[in-house]
Amino acid sequence: MEIILFKLAFAFCLLSTAGYLLSLLIKKVVPAKISTWILVIAFGFLTINLFLVMVNPAGYIKIGSREFFSFCAWVVAGVYLAFQMKTKTRILGSFISPIILLLMIAAAGRESGRSLVPEDMLGWLTLVHLVLVVAGEALFILASCAGAMFIIQNSLLKHKKSSHMSRLLPALHDLDRINHLGLLWGFPVLTLGLFAGIVFAGYTWESGWPGDPKVIWTSAAWAAYGFLLHQRLAIGWKGIRMAVISCAVFILLLLSYSGVRFCFSTLHDFV
Amino acid sequence: MIALIGLNHKTAPLAVREKLFAGCQEESDLPVRLTAVCGIREAMFLSTCNRIEILTRIDGQEETLYKLRDFLAASGGLTPEEARDCLYLYCDENAVRHLFRVAASLDSLVMGETQILGQVKDAYRRALEKNSTGAVLNRLLHRAFRTAKRVRSETAIAVNPVSVSFAAVTLAKKIFGSLTGKEVLVIGAGEMAELTGMHLVANGISGIIIANRSQAQASVLAEKFHGRAVSLEALREALTEADIVISSTGASSYIVSADLIRQVHHQRKNRLLFLIDIAVPRDIDPQAGAVENVYLYNIDNLQDIVDENMNARKKEALKAEAIVEEEVKNYINWVKELDAVPTIVLLRNKVEEIVRLELVKAGSWMKDMNETERQKVEILINSIVNKLLHNPVTVLKEESSEFKSADIVALTRQLFRLDE
Repeated sequence: MEIILFKLAFAFCLLSTAGYLLSLLIKKVVPAKISTWILVIAFGFLTINLFLVMVNPAGYIKIGSREFFSFCAWVVAGVYLAFQMKTKTRILGSFISPIILLLMIAAAGRESGRSLVPEDMLGWLTLVHLVLVVAGEALFILASCAGAMFIIQNSLLKHKKSSHMSRLLPALHDLDRINHLGLLWGFPVLTLGLFAGIVFAGYTWESGWPGDPKVIWTSAAWAAYGFLLHQRLAIGWKGIRMAVISCAVFILLLLSYSGVRFCFSTLHDFV
Repeated sequence: MIALIGLNHKTAPLAVREKLFAGCQEESDLPVRLTAVCGIREAMFLSTCNRIEILTRIDGQEETLYKLRDFLAASGGLTPEEARDCLYLYCDENAVRHLFRVAASLDSLVMGETQILGQVKDAYRRALEKNSTGAVLNRLLHRAFRTAKRVRSETAIAVNPVSVSFAAVTLAKKIFGSLTGKEVLVIGAGEMAELTGMHLVANGISGIIIANRSQAQASVLAEKFHGRAVSLEALREALTEADIVISSTGASSYIVSADLIRQVHHQRKNRLLFLIDIAVPRDIDPQAGAVENVYLYNIDNLQDIVDENMNARKKEALKAEAIVEEEVKNYINWVKELDAVPTIVLLRNKVEEIVRLELVKAGSWMKDMNETERQKVEILINSIVNKLLHNPVTVLKEESSEFKSADIVALTRQLFRLDE
């Protein structure tokens, strides 16, 4: 049952991404609107899928890479759809949906079924850590996507290019607000998630974990976004500067995470 | 026959349009008087600042067309020469095409403007109130509205602004999204700045500050917009508050320097700033546009956008013309079907189909009957149906030679839902 739901969610994600990219290609907002509803359906299937994983008859939560990555996709999609209700900037999906699709591809990859979290480590603290860290990073992804769109729109307006693309992209002020909200909500959520992880590691792993590459990079992400939020709230950074730095930090973190995954051994690798 | 007579901004000078407009405005019952003219069955009168037109269904006699022209000329007090030179007359397919193009704003002074459709709808509403339209014009007008709607939704003819002030407002929305709660600073009290300010006020900005060398002139404009007037010396404070700045003074050097913008930008906490410089020579240092989060557009930039949009509209107009042609063809096909013979055939086919379906349904309880009984039932049904159809068909045949047959045919098609 779970596998059918996962496949349906995957198919709808694929369809939604195609729709969003088509919208960007033909520079019309209608495919983006339809794609938003397709993503809502995918989100629905994924929700049921994850619910069934949670209440499985075995009585414990099995977190394999499929569950983990589909959970990440679910959070990113959920955060994006919640933003949609508030901002109505559907074209943002053209930037977010490929990320959701990538997470779904990772979930469907050949490693699927591998247990990421050993059973003895499962507990409410691990779950809180996982949920909050993923949700926090999803909000950062959203903030960075809004930043990328800001850079494009800013360039079109500065160079006086009244193109279809400019009409399709949301207003600068709206994009800046999405970036602001992404950071404002993402930072405390990630902080709480990290805190839960630290408490858990302190009890379970006792030593060695502060030097773990994944912990170091996540702390770096936390510090980088904390710096951005500070500059925005206290110094008053806005607009293009925030957009550029958000994107730069996001790219840097993406590269770093990939590096950690492929080049270092980490305590977070539960083979 | 459908006939359309009138004049517009392309065929008549303003003086003639004014004269005809004034003459026709006094006549509130014009459609009724028109239908009273011998040979005119239905009529609608359209009057806007750029066109005055009468749309009618007439009996097809050439004499009626002359009467129609004389009627319009007399209503507006036009001389015979003016009537000959300025009035245009379209019949049947050309009249339909012209009406569809007018409703779709392809014949407007500013192509793609949206006001004309509302004006045609108003004219139709007035005609309906006076009961001066019938089946043919009703259908024609609904088709015209449908055409206009298709042109609006299937082409981008009305998407891009084609005036400098509208282009400025559109850009402001591209920067700020909603303009609600935004503050506008107008430097100088020029006509263009006033017009742009007016558009911005209409789009919901919260406050307007007028800065001018002459405080008295600034106060007059500020009062008009319910804003406040400041002197040019207080420009720095005003720039700190403003989100949008429109400048159009006659000054020979820059009023707003790039340094000033850099200085106030920190005080403004890096908020987005939209500068519109419509003065010649320019009021705002072009270097100000290089400052972070500042967007500077001068009159040439805005005019380029307008020109680009106008060209885009012309391209879209080609698509719109294709839609108009398609709708004209559909309408003409419908009119042709208003001949009595196809309607009679359709009516008979529909009734025969009903009889056939009912006999199939009755098959279950008729299965006990023998062949002879079954044939008798069918003969009885056909006989009843033929008797019921006899009178409508006879009337349709008799009236087909008459001018008013279109009404009866249209009514029959509506009563029996033959167009579905």
